[in-house]
Amino acid sequence: MKPTIKNKLVGGCTGLLLVILGVACIGAFSVFSLRRSAFETTRVGDRLNSESLEVQVHTLQAHNLARAYLNGITTMGAEQAKSTFLDEAEFEINEIQNLAANLVKISPTEAKRAKFARIPAAADAYTQALDNIVKAAGNKGAAIPKETLDAYEGAATRLTESAEDGEVAGHESSQTSQEQIEATSKRSVELVTGVSLMGLLLALTMSVTLSRAILIPVEHLKQVAENVSMGNLDITVHRYSEDEIGDLADSFSRMVTAVKFFRSEVETVQAEAGSGRGGR
Amino acid sequence: MSETSDKVVAISKPYFGPATESFLNRQCIGHLSIGFNALEQSHLKELAKWVEPAAAKIMDPNKAAEVAKKIARL
Repeated sequence: MKPTIKNKLVGGCTGLLLVILGVACIGAFSVFSLRRSAFETTRVGDRLNSESLEVQVHTLQAHNLARAYLNGITTMGAEQAKSTFLDEAEFEINEIQNLAANLVKISPTEAKRAKFARIPAAADAYTQALDNIVKAAGNKGAAIPKETLDAYEGAATRLTESAEDGEVAGHESSQTSQEQIEATSKRSVELVTGVSLMGLLLALTMSVTLSRAILIPVEHLKQVAENVSMGNLDITVHRYSEDEIGDLADSFSRMVTAVKFFRSEVETVQAEAGSGRGGR
Repeated sequence: MSETSDKVVAISKPYFGPATESFLNRQCIGHLSIGFNALEQSHLKELAKWVEPAAAKIMDPNKAAEVAKKIARL
């Protein structure tokens, strides 16, 4: 393709449009992906927070039911107390284990995963301790040995502690997600600003290059025309580019050559005429 | 004009513009002692030899050398 001014302008404008389009696409993609990542972080943080609270509630509920069972052994009989309270307590423990498994699954960091992983283990130990109490009490409500009760209390304390730790971790996750959103939005602003500045710089460079490609030869031709109009023919016409302005420079060059030649012809004729007169 | 003259004009026109015929006529009369219309193939090398310095006085020397070379190659 011949590098004419038209082609240069069309190419330059197309290039500029492509740069702007590219910048817009990169900006939109960055904002979209950062926004999606922020939403995902918030969602996970909120889930960790709410589910760890649920674990805490179910733990308290399980403890209350277990205590009610222990009291019920003497008041309503072991069998009755078991069916009234322990079935529900088992349900609560089952819920704790399901929730804890999910918390482990969705935890974003290894440290949090380790904290949540303690809950199912504590719940298993708690279930085991409770089973030991049930076995010791038997169907007739026999006295429960102190060490069995102590073991149960220890398991209950560990479950409570791990549930509390979980709750703290959940709350931290929620707070961290807020911080991450702030960091993400800050990063998104920085990224879009950076990409825009880069696009602007590129567009500016292209504009300057395009302008120089047109302005420098035009400025040179203007100087040539001014010199010729003032009678100064001792100038060199440069062809800067292979476009319309280059063709114009060639035309100027031919014109200057012809004017120089005709002027020298006139001078020669005048000199000959002068010497002829002088000779007479 | 001879066929050779036409060819030389066609080659020289982009360099000398409206002064082409006058310039070439002056070189032919001055150095070859013939009119430009009587230019023959055999004159071209000699013409080219004189065109270069004369053209260099009114245009860029590189262009003058260029046009002289083109005439000589005809």
